[in-house]
Amino acid sequence: MNKRLHNLLLICFSLVISFILFFIGTNGFQAFTAESARVYRLMEEKPLFPNVTLEDSKERTYPFTMFQGKYVLLTFIYTACTDVCPKLEMNLAKVYERIPAELLGKEIIFLSISFDPKRDDPATLEKYQALFNSDGDTWRMARIMDEVELTALLDEFGVIVIPDGSGGFTHNSAFYFVGTDGELLDILDFQQPEEAAHKVVEVIQNNMEG
Amino acid sequence: MRKPLYIGALLYLILIIPPIRSYMESIMIIHMLIQLPLLMVVGWFLGKYIVYKAPKVFHAINENGVPGMILIVAITMYWMLPRTLDEALTLPQYEVFKFISLPLVGLLLADSWAKIRDVGQIFIYLNYLSMFALMGWLYLDSPIQLCNNYLITQQKTLGWGFIFITASMIVYVLQYVFIDRRRIEE
Repeated sequence: MNKRLHNLLLICFSLVISFILFFIGTNGFQAFTAESARVYRLMEEKPLFPNVTLEDSKERTYPFTMFQGKYVLLTFIYTACTDVCPKLEMNLAKVYERIPAELLGKEIIFLSISFDPKRDDPATLEKYQALFNSDGDTWRMARIMDEVELTALLDEFGVIVIPDGSGGFTHNSAFYFVGTDGELLDILDFQQPEEAAHKVVEVIQNNMEG
Repeated sequence: MRKPLYIGALLYLILIIPPIRSYMESIMIIHMLIQLPLLMVVGWFLGKYIVYKAPKVFHAINENGVPGMILIVAITMYWMLPRTLDEALTLPQYEVFKFISLPLVGLLLADSWAKIRDVGQIFIYLNYLSMFALMGWLYLDSPIQLCNNYLITQQKTLGWGFIFITASMIVYVLQYVFIDRRRIEE
């Protein structure tokens, strides 16, 4: 009898260890893929947008801090991309359409950052933004020329970019919602533009009232 | 009886060598279906030696093999989550955990497999068969890229790898059931 109890205890013990393993390994059964884990971690850390220098489609060069005091909704793209980026930008356009016009440019800036600065010069970005009716002011497309700055930004925001061997890149996609002081507020699902727009407007209006 | 110890240790060292390690991890299917199982093989060899040296310890903590088997299932399932493969590439602590936990699986397997008897073995076998089928389906059918560090084509290849393993396991079951063993043994 004692022996049975002993075995039973050991079985319970190993079950508990297994449970702990999965609990820790999935952030309490919330994150089963690295992408969800990344979002989870970023939400905990709330990293600040590093100070990078942008060059946009109108050949203007300015630091990111120029947007201080405004919210920024941004995506990471490259224009030669044929699969996810057009979808990502199309959905960003859907969000853009849903934001009240009086907020655009004043309270919130849309920004698409290219991580392929070699090919995405201002002229290319200009052409690309026309596809999505981006005006280049309230929705800007820009590249980061400085490689060190670009890497630091991708690192900080957990964007993983891998060359696919045929001139393109594969990368994880999302809308990044950055607050008025450059802090990352939220990572929004790019496949749910309605929800993203709703959330963005809500945050801005709360801020204006409060 | 030292032989398994040497084989296990040698294989372990080979797997740790940085160029070999990073090569294996650069291809998703090699990472999951070759490197991870080889780490278990390492543990299995080391386990043969350790169980032989200290049978009493294993008798005390793993008498009927069930506690060991539970841990084996948990750890292997853990390493089949799409997330963990990714994390092993980006976070060093996961990589270290991989090189410890998987040999542990092999070690426990060397001790537990015979102890859980026929019924337990069949249960575990069928459990893994369905799990591999599920993983194959997950990796093949997923429209999104599950791992940030691997391309979607690599994900599909891994899916087919899982399907292949599942098919092989089914073939094994069929031949086990339908081939008359007595005649071969004569």
